Amino acid sequence: MVEKRNIFIRALHPVFVYLTYLFLYVPVFVIAMFSFNNSRYSVSWKGFSLRWYAELFKSVEILDALYVSLVVAIFATLISVLIGTALVIATRWWKSWISYLIFYPNVVLPDIALAVGVLSVFAFFKMPIGYGSLIAGHTLIGLGFVVPIVRSRFVELDPVLTEASLDLGATGYQTFRKVLIPLLRPSLFASALIVFTLSLDDFLIAFFCSSPKVQTLSIYVYSQMKETVDPSVNAISVLLLVCSSIVALILCSMKVVDRVIHND
Amino acid sequence: MVAMLKKIKKIFSRELPFLFVCPALLWQVLFLYIPLGILFGHSFIKYVPKLKTFSFTFKYYAKIFQPFSLKIIYNSFMLAFQTTLISFMIAYPLAYFLTFKIKRFRTFFLMLVMLPSWTSLIIQIYAWFFLLKKDGIISMALYNIGIISEPIHILNSHTSMLIGMVYCYFPFMVLPIYAVLEKIDRRLIEASSDLGASRWVTIKKVIFPLSSPGVVAGLFLVFIPAFGEFAIPEFLGGSKKLFWGNVIVSKFLDYRDWQAGAAATYSGFMFPIMTFVLFYFFVKILRRKKRGVC
Repeated sequence: MVEKRNIFIRALHPVFVYLTYLFLYVPVFVIAMFSFNNSRYSVSWKGFSLRWYAELFKSVEILDALYVSLVVAIFATLISVLIGTALVIATRWWKSWISYLIFYPNVVLPDIALAVGVLSVFAFFKMPIGYGSLIAGHTLIGLGFVVPIVRSRFVELDPVLTEASLDLGATGYQTFRKVLIPLLRPSLFASALIVFTLSLDDFLIAFFCSSPKVQTLSIYVYSQMKETVDPSVNAISVLLLVCSSIVALILCSMKVVDRVIHND
Repeated sequence: MVAMLKKIKKIFSRELPFLFVCPALLWQVLFLYIPLGILFGHSFIKYVPKLKTFSFTFKYYAKIFQPFSLKIIYNSFMLAFQTTLISFMIAYPLAYFLTFKIKRFRTFFLMLVMLPSWTSLIIQIYAWFFLLKKDGIISMALYNIGIISEPIHILNSHTSMLIGMVYCYFPFMVLPIYAVLEKIDRRLIEASSDLGASRWVTIKKVIFPLSSPGVVAGLFLVFIPAFGEFAIPEFLGGSKKLFWGNVIVSKFLDYRDWQAGAAATYSGFMFPIMTFVLFYFFVKILRRKKRGVC
């Protein structure tokens, strides 16, 4: 009897897992399919067309939102990688739990709390929200990923390498430039990619920290959903999805994911 | 002049580590620790400029215990609880399968689980919005096949909201469970089966207890954000019920009432965390009683 039940479960288990994958990917595929649909109404299939992708580049609103998203993502990535790496390099002697303790909240706290915090800083100093608040919030999220990832690589490095470089007459800057940065490059690249996609895909921070004038793509989609949905939203979704899939594949091939999981 | 420049340069290079640490720490303190600290204080202290004094009030916290707010908390709690439960039922078998059944490209399959939740939350919501609406794919497909006599509206129901919640949150539970399962020493499992335990008993007595830290982490990762969710109920649940996330959003963005917003945000963390702490102790006491220690 027990054997029978075991066989039953063993047979059912893969099916359950495949169904889970199906559940995850059906919405994605439907959206992708209908972004190529040649019809204003989403119900029926009227043939293949790239019409909605062309529409993307005609709409001023979408292009503006895309511009804001890209500017914010680029700045958030640059700032968080730069200051995060600087911190990691200068704090080699820190016990690892210190930097985890300081930067863990960025990952663990719900985004709504981070967003409220950033919003209140801008409100307190009576600064207008917009690019500044978006970049501040996204950099905060970014730091939570940059510091652990770069640190995990940095502590693996042999300190002898930098010492050798200094002994052989290189200045501090040269050592930094020619030894440290090339050695850290994979982790810098990986964390930059992660921050970039997180920023591009963020909704909660943008919901609190963007003004009507400065909107990201997520907020544009949100405002579209409140009214009648234009099929070009499908096209935006597909573009963002493709963007994150490419990044995911790169990260996967770099084995960054493995490292992040095993360090935690 | 040259001497001075040299001196500045010397000080600069000596203080370089300090300068390197500063920006990130400042950013962290300015945008995270100070605002969250001040908001916490502000949730019960108010500065009165006219009198130049501080006034203490717990009225915003007291308001939470009014029937109206309790109803909202109950709604949020139930939604988060159901989401967490269903997520666990999906995530554990999936993580188990990934760890023990898949030999090659394991990271790739894990990545596939994470990928949809990596894209914008709003786009995931939009995808389900698109699928579930009255003239959406699912309803039309069922209608055309002939299972239902007229297009049904799946959207704006509790079911549709739950589908969206589970879809968005369960991947966050897979990762910690997978991380723990993978670290389990395989020899323990072999020992268990060598000693005559069936696979099911091994799971129950060896694998599951060893994976409990990952499970607890996963429960936290799902329950806490699910408690404060506002966009999914709004779009997939049709705003029929109010949830705690909606309260936080409306206090900050609609009423611009910082004090009430701060109190709502903090109680929004406190309730789920307290639920977990109580649950944890409850389980611990139960276990002790079982062992007969207590």
